[in-house]
Amino acid sequence: MAYDLSFARDVYKNSEMGHWIKMCKQCGVCAGSCPLGPHWEFSPRQLFQMVRAGKKEEVLKSHSMWMCTSCYNCIVRCPRGLPITHIVHGLARYASVKGYADPDQVTNRFATRIFWTNIVSTGRVGEAMLTMRLYFVDGIAAGIKQGLEMKDSALGMLKAKRLNPIPLRGKIKGYAGFQAMLTKAQELEEKRESGV
Amino acid sequence: MADDQAAGQTILVVGGGISGLTAAVEAAEVGYKVLLVEKDPHLGGRVAQHYQYFPKLCSPSCGLEINYQRVKNNPLIRVMTLAEVEDIQGTEGNYTVRIRQNPRFVTEKCTGCGDCSRACTVTVPNPFNFGMNEIKAIRASHAMAYPGHYFMDAAYARSAEAQTLVSVCPVGAIDPNMSATTLEEKVGSIVWATGWQPYDAEKIQPYGFGRFANVSTNMRFERLANTYGPTGGTLTRPSDGKEIKNIAFIQCAGSRDHNHLPFCSRVCCLASMKQATYVRSQFPDAKVTIYYIDLRAMDRYEGFQKKVEADPSITWIKSKPARIDEDPVTKDPIVVGENTLTGVRYADPYDMVVLATGMEPNSATTARVPAQAVAYDEYGFVVKGGQVLSTGCTATPLDVAAAVQAGTAVALKAIQSAARRG
Amino acid sequence: MEAKKIGCYICTGCGIGEALNVAALEKVASKEQKIPVTKSHPFLCGTEGIALIRQDMANEGVNALLIAACSHRNKTDEFEFNIPLLDRVDLRDKVLWVLEDGSKDSTAKEDLQMMAADYLRMGSVKLKKMNAPDPFLESGFSKDVLVVGGGVAGLTAAKEVADTGYRAILVEKSDQLGGMVARMHKTTPTLPPYRTLEDNPVQGLIAAVEGHSRIKIYKGAAIHKTQGAPGLFDVTIHAGGTETTERVGSIVLTTGYNLYDPAKLDKKLGYGSSPDVVTSLEFEEMAKAGKIVRKSDGKPAKRVAFSLCAGQRDSNHLEYCSAACCSYSLKHALYLMEQYADASAYILFQELRTPGQMEEFYRRVQEEGGVIIKGDVEKVEKAAAGGLTVQIHDKLVRGKEQLEVDLLVLATGMVSSVDTTDPNNPSPVGQVAEDAARYVLNLQYRQGRSMPELKWGFPDSHFICFPYETRRTGIYAAGPARRPMGIAETITDATGAALKAIQVVESVARGAAVHPRSGDLSYPSFRAEGCTQCKRCTEECPFGAINEDEKGNPLFNPTRCRRCGTCMGACPQKIISFANYSVDMIGSMLKEVEVPAEDEEKPRILLFACVNDAIPALDMVGQNRSKLSPYIRIIPLRCMGSMNLVWVADAMSSGFDGVLLMGCRHGDDYQCHNVRGSSLAETRLSKVSETLDRLQLESDRVKMVEVNIMDADTLPQLINDFAAQIASLAPNPYKEF
Repeated sequence: MAYDLSFARDVYKNSEMGHWIKMCKQCGVCAGSCPLGPHWEFSPRQLFQMVRAGKKEEVLKSHSMWMCTSCYNCIVRCPRGLPITHIVHGLARYASVKGYADPDQVTNRFATRIFWTNIVSTGRVGEAMLTMRLYFVDGIAAGIKQGLEMKDSALGMLKAKRLNPIPLRGKIKGYAGFQAMLTKAQELEEKRESGV
Repeated sequence: MADDQAAGQTILVVGGGISGLTAAVEAAEVGYKVLLVEKDPHLGGRVAQHYQYFPKLCSPSCGLEINYQRVKNNPLIRVMTLAEVEDIQGTEGNYTVRIRQNPRFVTEKCTGCGDCSRACTVTVPNPFNFGMNEIKAIRASHAMAYPGHYFMDAAYARSAEAQTLVSVCPVGAIDPNMSATTLEEKVGSIVWATGWQPYDAEKIQPYGFGRFANVSTNMRFERLANTYGPTGGTLTRPSDGKEIKNIAFIQCAGSRDHNHLPFCSRVCCLASMKQATYVRSQFPDAKVTIYYIDLRAMDRYEGFQKKVEADPSITWIKSKPARIDEDPVTKDPIVVGENTLTGVRYADPYDMVVLATGMEPNSATTARVPAQAVAYDEYGFVVKGGQVLSTGCTATPLDVAAAVQAGTAVALKAIQSAARRG
Repeated sequence: MEAKKIGCYICTGCGIGEALNVAALEKVASKEQKIPVTKSHPFLCGTEGIALIRQDMANEGVNALLIAACSHRNKTDEFEFNIPLLDRVDLRDKVLWVLEDGSKDSTAKEDLQMMAADYLRMGSVKLKKMNAPDPFLESGFSKDVLVVGGGVAGLTAAKEVADTGYRAILVEKSDQLGGMVARMHKTTPTLPPYRTLEDNPVQGLIAAVEGHSRIKIYKGAAIHKTQGAPGLFDVTIHAGGTETTERVGSIVLTTGYNLYDPAKLDKKLGYGSSPDVVTSLEFEEMAKAGKIVRKSDGKPAKRVAFSLCAGQRDSNHLEYCSAACCSYSLKHALYLMEQYADASAYILFQELRTPGQMEEFYRRVQEEGGVIIKGDVEKVEKAAAGGLTVQIHDKLVRGKEQLEVDLLVLATGMVSSVDTTDPNNPSPVGQVAEDAARYVLNLQYRQGRSMPELKWGFPDSHFICFPYETRRTGIYAAGPARRPMGIAETITDATGAALKAIQVVESVARGAAVHPRSGDLSYPSFRAEGCTQCKRCTEECPFGAINEDEKGNPLFNPTRCRRCGTCMGACPQKIISFANYSVDMIGSMLKEVEVPAEDEEKPRILLFACVNDAIPALDMVGQNRSKLSPYIRIIPLRCMGSMNLVWVADAMSSGFDGVLLMGCRHGDDYQCHNVRGSSLAETRLSKVSETLDRLQLESDRVKMVEVNIMDADTLPQLINDFAAQIASLAPNPYKEF
């Protein structure tokens, strides 16, 4: 494999916060800080060095950047001040745009099929419905099983008013404006990504 | 100057650590008058707290002793301890400085016999050992302290017992009623050599210093290894007194880190390698792990790194650990992170973890230069361009040899500066 | 000179008066030692006590002082009378504090008294044998400073010397000043915010030096010969076909470095296989010239790999790190990226070493897009499309990778250009063929033409505490000639060396020694008629102070001397002595000890202790109130190197049962301030068994140990064990005589 900066340069330019990847000094603190660290194939540090090494396929096909839960531990600890959480989300988005993202990758699936449709349909997150769709994504039996497992948590959240039990509350006020905003944003994003 | 030595302009050196001491002695041995001002009761600074120097693994007291001899033998050097420069007025060649002389509560009559210290019943956390043990409230700072006459803690001086010590002293050297005085001195040039303090390890929250008993720092470890340290030089850990036979050193604890000190403190890698030898020579069955980002054993010190690397009981892991946990039962610190050369994540327990904390210049905090025009960099190091000359770790993080070099060099700049009348 | 009149003053403070029979001590001084003025005082270091001494000096004509009080390391300001004849007898720290345990036991009290009395006797005889030193002064002393090498270090040293008011003579071997740095484009940042390259300082320095009225410059010059000593160096310079001899006071060696020969590098780095594999200096010159291009075809070189540690930190090449190359290579990457917006700069490192504020420069280079790779070059091949294919082992992505580059830049290391020799194996003058070009100074020293080296060809010695120490007095090395370093550090270093060069000429002018016995006015004299031309003094002097005439007689150079006394210790004929320190003095001191008769079962053990480390350690033993054997008698030596074997014989024939010598650590990491003192003492001592055999005594009666200044916790056991071991032997049969 040959080092080639063209991929890195594109990431620096077109991936959110991607230019920060230049600044990584490979200390590894991010990897150890990540609560899901052991489940990543490549730690953020490794991803960054791979970007710099021009390993486009390996980076973009990787599931690693989809693992981030936005806990921000890595950002807090990075000695070079890299906004690692954002860089990693940026890479996921970049992979998605470039058509590399695996649609069945769990985070991607949740984001694109569950979360996105949920929020776009009404303009707000319907928490009960979101949870339900997440639980039932692998079939009815799995959904019921998981629902039962989590019922105590759910009741607790209900009591603490952290979960809205009403599945559908209709659209937000000014839904049309919300949709217009989304359309415009998508338009801008497409324009940016096409490099015009 | 060769032609102009009678001008006899005094050089003020602020800070009696190895840099200031060197500057003072080297200038005086050319033939110039020096006023050396030190805020502590003794000279020697940080160096005096070290157990050994790298790479020779010899005692800093040996080098300090000869410098003290040079001071004692040289009538051109005047030493003020427990003194601080409060104000600088004037210009190069013609400064007036105001110096605060803090009370010692023991006069120079003191013969160092120790009767007062034996009579004193009050102990305080020993600052020389970073509070790891207790020491009498009237004392010499440490066994090799120079000047050797005793001093009393200010809080203790106000106690009733302090008054009773007056009659204990066979030579009448104790005066708990002493108060601070201020004096003015005319000097020709000023060398700022106020040195550094260890970066406050509690600020590095994920490493748990201050929360976990067995997480220590490199400077504390110097005292722990020292014969005159809190354990008499036996390497045992605070939580249970267990011998430290499995130890980790974490480099760049606070250095090279934009959350803390963005610069590299230069000496910590070598200091940890040195401290690894303390452990290995005390316990032949001990294991050492050094976590690092880059091993910075510059120039000839590389030979020392090679020597330490040759020890198979020392493991090197290229990684900045993410955090330290504590085993609630054993109180073992557990170091968590990713080995960047293998990609393997680790969570390894140790008897003790030593954080290689960096150097924070005192000029950034407690020893700002009280002059009109002073040039600092963003970290608080005193750089070229201001009214005072800076040297040693006041200008940049340095090892002892480089500090001696810099101290020698600044002596010449101070001689030149004193001769220039503003 | 007025006659010596000794005053002996015994302090009875700090418990001395209670524990000892002071009247008896006074009698030892006045009656037995015949000291004309003997007094005691309860607080000698106090105002009244000092006044008492001063009165006697003024009214009684006392001009030599024996102060029997505490350790000579205490109360130095109080007991400063500005007279050369003063000795301190330590009755407190090394007698009272190590013996007195409050017991009323009469034997213990007797032992205490005997020890105090012996020390008083020893002090008395020492002072009697001591004369005021007559400083070595000559009319021909020069205060000019010779600076050898006209690079940044030399230019700085010359400028600093001249700026301080002294004359500097700068000798440069090439026709141009500026040295290695003159070939560089820009320099790494020294000023906040440490992000921008700075203009090369060399031209400014050259202008300052060339325009300086106090600097004389020789270009295209070589030094054919350096004779003499500090203050009196005569340096023969060849330049432009003429020979000139300059008298200078001191020398700063700033000849800089040569780059490690790239032809010697491992083949895998590819040097020589393609013109596109270059050294960092070649890259520097290319950047300075303007265009960074492939050497093979002149096309723009936009993709460049920088391989750090080329032949460094490598036991097959240079074992050390050259300190500056990491920063230099980052700078080179920046040249590239500043020249081409679409440049690819790959920095292949092992350990990226950017100490201090240079960390910010490292960040800057990454910010510009420089890619760091921890990895090794494994293979270099010419690429089909021109340029190179570099195969690397990338340790961070863990695999073999390729770099397609236009240039591969090898950061080769610094090799000191000073000729050095193994100090234990110097090639003496006269045995080496004349080849002036091989030598920087061509020293006309008996111990060799070159500078002694410590390691790796660097002419240094105590590099931690005394970085300018070269073991050749008055010659100070600075910059990469002494140790690998970058430009900013070189400038500091050269300034420090300039100070040392000035300091030595000022000290010489006062007749005073420089470090480690700074200010000492004494120096050894040689009783020539007693010399047997054994050459031990000329061989052993750690500082090469003694030359030889053709017959092998010592030719002593006082201003090279550091006053360690190694020559005195070496001389079997006892012909070398100082006014205030001699074989006779120490011999007389040990003979003054009253050795109890065999049947008293009080052995006597003589302890020679180095004043630098062992004596302070013994003081701390006292401070700790640790108990020592009452049978020891301590004699401080200014350096173990001054230990003359005759003292061991004297001790044995005087009835001492054992002799313990406490010197500093020697070997590779020696601590001896005089470099070889303690090591030479040990070598000498290895021959002592002959002496003991001759006297029919057990060889383990004499032992040498290394003592560290912080050994106060282990010293008591060491000393007491030795005392016990000696006590287990039969008493020395020579006690009777």
